[in-house]
Amino acid sequence: MSDINNGVGVIDDDFNPAAAPKAREAAGARAAAWGGKGLTAGIAVSALIALIGIVLWVMQLSGGMVQTAMRNLDSWGLYITMFMLFVGLSAGGLIISSVPKAFGIRGFGGISKVAVMSSIAATVAAIAFVVVDLGQPLRLWELFAYSNLGSPLMWDIIVLGTYLILSCVYLWAQVRAEAGRVSATALRVISVVALVCAVLVHSVTAWIFGLQQGREMWHTALLAPWFVSSALVCGTGLVLAVCAGLSRAGYIEFGRDNQVKLAKLLAVFVLVDLYFFGCDLLTEAFPAAGGMEVVAMLTSGPLAPFFWGEIVLCAVAAVICLVPSLRTTPLLVAASVAAILAILCKRVQLLVGGFQLTNLDLAGPVTPATVTGWESGLQGAYTGMVYWPAPIEWGVALGVVALGVCVFLLGVKYLPLRPKQD
Amino acid sequence: MRYGMVIDQKRCIGCWTCAMSCKSANGLPDGVWWNRVLSDGGEEFETMRGEFPHAKVDFTPVSCQHCENPACVKVCPVGATYKDPDTGIVRQDYDKCIGCRMCMAACPYTGVRSFNWEEPAYSIGFATGDADAAPHQKHVVEKCTFCYQRTSQGETPACMELCPVRARFWGDLDDPESEVAKLVATRSYQQLLPDEGTKPSVYYLV
Repeated sequence: MSDINNGVGVIDDDFNPAAAPKAREAAGARAAAWGGKGLTAGIAVSALIALIGIVLWVMQLSGGMVQTAMRNLDSWGLYITMFMLFVGLSAGGLIISSVPKAFGIRGFGGISKVAVMSSIAATVAAIAFVVVDLGQPLRLWELFAYSNLGSPLMWDIIVLGTYLILSCVYLWAQVRAEAGRVSATALRVISVVALVCAVLVHSVTAWIFGLQQGREMWHTALLAPWFVSSALVCGTGLVLAVCAGLSRAGYIEFGRDNQVKLAKLLAVFVLVDLYFFGCDLLTEAFPAAGGMEVVAMLTSGPLAPFFWGEIVLCAVAAVICLVPSLRTTPLLVAASVAAILAILCKRVQLLVGGFQLTNLDLAGPVTPATVTGWESGLQGAYTGMVYWPAPIEWGVALGVVALGVCVFLLGVKYLPLRPKQD
Repeated sequence: MRYGMVIDQKRCIGCWTCAMSCKSANGLPDGVWWNRVLSDGGEEFETMRGEFPHAKVDFTPVSCQHCENPACVKVCPVGATYKDPDTGIVRQDYDKCIGCRMCMAACPYTGVRSFNWEEPAYSIGFATGDADAAPHQKHVVEKCTFCYQRTSQGETPACMELCPVRARFWGDLDDPESEVAKLVATRSYQQLLPDEGTKPSVYYLV
């Protein structure tokens, strides 16, 4: 532990309990003081958008989910896509914050608590995306009354809830550790638990899809580790972009050396993610059997824009992060955004790709409940992407994202997320 | 006991009578079909495969396969879809369903599960069907129940009754003396997607 406690300097997020009393006062003072009109406006605007999202959600429930583009043959849509993305986004913060503490290595400067706050906000949004997808949200309590512990969805609800609570506890423990109320050992234990839980939450989210033998696109053992790597890509991207922004606003100090460290990590994660993608494509394609359909759908079929989009965005992110002369702050932010968008492309491929390939290759009449583009018949519905979101889905999804942003900004304004400055 | 169904594809003429009687007996709302007759010739229903005079088409009536190893039951987070231990019928509890549609993602049999995307509506203004069939609800998943309201009273499912070519058979697959068990034992048959390992209780005679 000594190497943790001896870490010095404003840019290090390690703790020195000896400096506690001063830090406690400072933390209290800062918490109340920070934030100008811009931040307040940001909170107000995001709260307003979230409110509009809630109104649209109520409309969706009262008027029926027929207003969405989801139908029997493509029964999940934008909400579950965004759920996958936001579970991933929640990874970065917690892992970047907990890995240095868990292993007793140097961290990334004073971004630890901001990073965990981003995790909390992303987890709130992820849970909200599941809720808006439900047909009967008023029956949510049944999840706890009639839990089927064999269902991957049930595992996810348990792990996601634990994850949210743990993130909050972890943030609180960090603040209290600075005030000398939580020992470095206790913090380290919480870090380890948080890290394990973070890996679990991505694996379990992957298993919702990966354990379904009926969907060629999803059914692969690689999906869980792949979700972890994708989560690291977009999560690191989020932390890098958010911290660069907060650093520019003068909230935290996010020096070049730490930016470069994070950028190198981002590059590694992107390359690992691409490596997994390559492994999966080869395994699907090599037997030249059923999996060929998946490869064709991705590389030259309806999902090609998202497939090539992901590849190009990943390449851009990796190049920016790996070439030293390109590692300027604006370009690193661009690389982070590219990394997040790349994972969004991946999520679209996964979700739509799961429904795009049907198992029963038989023709029959269609009704408005059968499939999104039912007017043009089964053949027409599957010519392009079988699913594309309806306007109300965009609105509700925007509202949920705004909810996440609002939670984060409230944290920035009211919580002592800045590192102690002693 | 394991209720099962045997459908003779050599007899089926693709008339949709079974689908209609299912729809009316269970009071299915507009746009909802638990039992659909599909054809194998092309992209549209009843498209022939091959060219005259060798054109052919085979029909496959498809509804819930009431699998012995159902993918849907495993994934339902609240147990709203469950296997009836006495009959092997995969049932659906509308009052419990939270509308997460996990079962629809898990079921390999494309399209047998349907979700009520809006308030159930009826083109004739009111619901029809068996008085004791469970009323349909908005935003829950439903599917063929082997007409549980009938079969639990010792009757046969509605789709059995009007088939003009008598292509459908119903009974207890576990009873070697039953008509279905004898057909499965003596005739050559296929099942839908046997590779999925779901062990369907519906057999197609070919």
